[in-house]
Amino acid sequence: MAGDKSDILQGTLDLMVLKTLESMGPLHGYGIARRIEQISEEVLQINQGTIYASLVRLMHRGWISGAWGTSDNNRKAKFYSLTRAGRKQLHTEAENWERISAVIGRVLRSAERG
Amino acid sequence: MLAWIRAWASRTRASLSPRQLDQEFEHELDAHLDMLADENVRRGMSPEEARRAARIRLGGQTQLKEINRELHGLPALETFFQDTRYAFRMLRKNPGFTAVAVLTLALGIGANTAIFSVVYAMLLKPLPYSRPDQLLTVFEAQPKAGVKATGWSYANFAELREQNRIFSDMAGSQQHQLTLTGRGEPSVVNTSVVTPELFSVFGQRPILGRPFCPDDGKLGAPAVVVLSENLWRGSFGADPKVIGSSINLDKRSFTIVGVMPAVFRFPILTESEQLWIPLVQDPLFGSWMDRRGGHWLQVTGRLKPGVSMAQAQAELDAIGARLAKEFPAENDGWTIRFVPLKQKIVGNVKSALLVLMGAVGLVLLIACANIANLLLTRATSRAREIAVRTALGAGRSRIVRQLLSETLVLGLLGGLAGIALAYLGVEGLTALMPQDLPQVNAIRVDNFVLGFALLLSALASCAFGLAPALFAANSNLQSSLREGGARSGESSNRRRARSFLAAGEIALAMVLLVAAGLLLKSFSKLMAVSPGFDAQHVVQADISLPRFQYAMPQQWAAFSRELLTRLQSEPGMRDAAVVVPRPMADGFVNLGFDIVGNPPLSAGTSRTANYVSVSPDYFRVMQIPLLAGRLFDRHDVSASPRVSLVSEAMARIYFPNQNPLGKQIVFGFPPDIGAVREIVGVVGDVRDVALGQDPGAMMYVPYAQAPFWGANVVVRSSLSAASVAGTIRRDVQQIDKDLPVTDVAMMKDTIDATVAQPKFRTFLLGLFAAMALVLAATGIFGVVSYSVSRRTNEIGIRVALGASRNRILRMVFGETLVLTCAGLVLGVPSALAGSHLLGHLLFNVSANDPATLAAVAFTLALVAAIAGYIPARRAMRVDPMVALRHE
Repeated sequence: MAGDKSDILQGTLDLMVLKTLESMGPLHGYGIARRIEQISEEVLQINQGTIYASLVRLMHRGWISGAWGTSDNNRKAKFYSLTRAGRKQLHTEAENWERISAVIGRVLRSAERG
Repeated sequence: MLAWIRAWASRTRASLSPRQLDQEFEHELDAHLDMLADENVRRGMSPEEARRAARIRLGGQTQLKEINRELHGLPALETFFQDTRYAFRMLRKNPGFTAVAVLTLALGIGANTAIFSVVYAMLLKPLPYSRPDQLLTVFEAQPKAGVKATGWSYANFAELREQNRIFSDMAGSQQHQLTLTGRGEPSVVNTSVVTPELFSVFGQRPILGRPFCPDDGKLGAPAVVVLSENLWRGSFGADPKVIGSSINLDKRSFTIVGVMPAVFRFPILTESEQLWIPLVQDPLFGSWMDRRGGHWLQVTGRLKPGVSMAQAQAELDAIGARLAKEFPAENDGWTIRFVPLKQKIVGNVKSALLVLMGAVGLVLLIACANIANLLLTRATSRAREIAVRTALGAGRSRIVRQLLSETLVLGLLGGLAGIALAYLGVEGLTALMPQDLPQVNAIRVDNFVLGFALLLSALASCAFGLAPALFAANSNLQSSLREGGARSGESSNRRRARSFLAAGEIALAMVLLVAAGLLLKSFSKLMAVSPGFDAQHVVQADISLPRFQYAMPQQWAAFSRELLTRLQSEPGMRDAAVVVPRPMADGFVNLGFDIVGNPPLSAGTSRTANYVSVSPDYFRVMQIPLLAGRLFDRHDVSASPRVSLVSEAMARIYFPNQNPLGKQIVFGFPPDIGAVREIVGVVGDVRDVALGQDPGAMMYVPYAQAPFWGANVVVRSSLSAASVAGTIRRDVQQIDKDLPVTDVAMMKDTIDATVAQPKFRTFLLGLFAAMALVLAATGIFGVVSYSVSRRTNEIGIRVALGASRNRILRMVFGETLVLTCAGLVLGVPSALAGSHLLGHLLFNVSANDPATLAAVAFTLALVAAIAGYIPARRAMRVDPMVALRHE
């Protein structure tokens, strides 16, 4: 189903945004998008708008908070940072992710061998 | 939890200022675009190119904003606002439909709210006393003689107050009128004659001065009076120095000791009494205080907290038994009863009010059925719109919610209009309402009543909105879309629902019409009853003699003799007489009597008759026929042998198969209780208690032999009422310039006033029934004309294929007939059940009166036929060419 697929993608993007904020500290939407692209070594060319969909969702769940500030090149931008709940959520999600990807990896490998 | 609160706070904020939310998000996206563009420029793009590339990278901004809005707002609330806006738009687009629906609903809600304001003021609101639930009215009763509830003698009351352990306080009261002189024109003031505890029983403090104290009630105490705030403001200029000054009541001086606030009204709740005096000071009742046999003092007690009704009755039974044992002559056979004060005050209007409330409820129900029908009609023509919405992904609950919002908006509009109508209605009601109803002055549209109206309109909206909404949501998507909207047939379910509603309206209207018909018939029977006298062209006036100046019965007799001589010598006023008490307008005086030579009565039985004292010409003035013997004449004076006339009923009941003439009977009003009187004549029966009550035994005595401290003058004259009244005033004042003449009226009006309550409720119920009839007729009209408009096509084909016009008329008219018959079949049993609730409101008419039932059924059928004929004629005239091209 279409809905399920987008849910997985959304969840993945949300996790990446949270992780980025954890490692980088407060950052604006553009910065987050750039950072994710850099980390993925430009493999992941994301539609940058989806970052904002993700940010809105994360704000809504109370995992991140936003405040207006000034960027390095003196532009007004909204800076997001991780809340305590967000940090907790990140750890749970990251563990989940690792567990699931390990399982998926195992399944894929066994399938190859079979 | 905190996060949840924060989220909701932000959502609420966002809902309240959606524009600000959008703007902020837009700024954020703009900043992003700027940074992306900067980057692109750094990579060597031209500024325009950089900007365009940035926009592509970011993607659709509108969807982002949508997501933002959705997550930040309160979706339910926003949907609600959206629905409401949409509802208003839909209602504006169909002004005809909206006007009819709102008006219908406004009538229903308005009538309900107005009647409810009366019910609330009279039945629901607590009495205006502190802890009113503790207040009881205590009666004496003599069950064997059929005396259900009468007042007390002061002597018995004193024993009861002394001996009981259940009441924290008790007081006795009586009312009559005294003449206030020394302050401008002599005026008659309503006076409550009370024991000193009255104010403390009701827990009411005066606004000025002091209430009565126990010493005020003792024999030989100085005469004191407490004024009402109204009298104090009206006649004493609200002068605070009035305390300690004195006024003259019946020419005797009383010292003013206090002023009671206007809110305190007892025992007459309708008009503010004007003053209170201690019982011991009253010229009439004061002299009766030592007499144990009377039954005239109304007793009110405040129950101690925690005493149950059963305990109270047990205690009162014990005291009653003790009184009967100690004073058997006066108390044998008497028991003590009580009812809550509230029940005593509102008891006799309760059933009529509940009937009216039920009636307006039915009117509202019919109105709802009507609107439901309109909505069903509209829902059918909106089927396509709803199908499109469903196809675009609106869920069933979303559709129901939207349709319900529409009906709710409609309901509230109707409710508001109804409240406006209710204000008018209450004004009209209180103006027309008989003023002797309890709490008449408390009737108003207050917050509670407004709340009721709003609740009612919300309930009504649900009632008429739910069915159409469910039908709409249930409709078959594909067929609706294919049908191309509104043309061909509607689902049979929906048509059945509409027909059922229309038939139901007829049935409900029938219930109301039958009730109104019965009341109308009952009232016309009441008015057709001959009272036994002729009140036409009779003017009456009340003259009350001050009992301190006119202390002796001889003076009373002399005054009336003098007055009648003067009046009868005036031109055109030969037919003048005095009477106490007047039939119907005054209370009746029922006295026991003995027949000389008859054995004494066995215990528990009694001979009683209503007692009237009249001057000789009374029978001529009132045109009461003499059936045997002679009338009174000028020679029947106090020095001559005592005589009496009896009514036909008295002769029949107490002298069966005997000639009552010459028989001697023993009775009398104080002071001549044991007087022996010879029956000299028999006169026709008179309804003296009420128009609706059969005449009972009556005995008349000559006023000269049994005078009173006041009397009603009755004059039959062809002169105008005003000139008769003027002459009476002039003659009275020539005898004594300080005597007020009050209560001047046409006797006919006075009699009519006694039937004001049945008249009023008949009028109201008739009004509601008329509303129901009109609504039901609109219902039929709506259903049939809608079905004609939907079948235009079909009718056109039928005509084209050769169906005659008459056949079409019959076909469409048949639908009306079926609806009407179904309505009547439903209506007859409902109407019968409903009219049984009218019970004792009916006079000389059976609740099953077949004539009324038949007349109502005929009227309904006729009205339905007319309502159905109009669309049927339209169907008959359908031009097949037009109809077929119609598609």
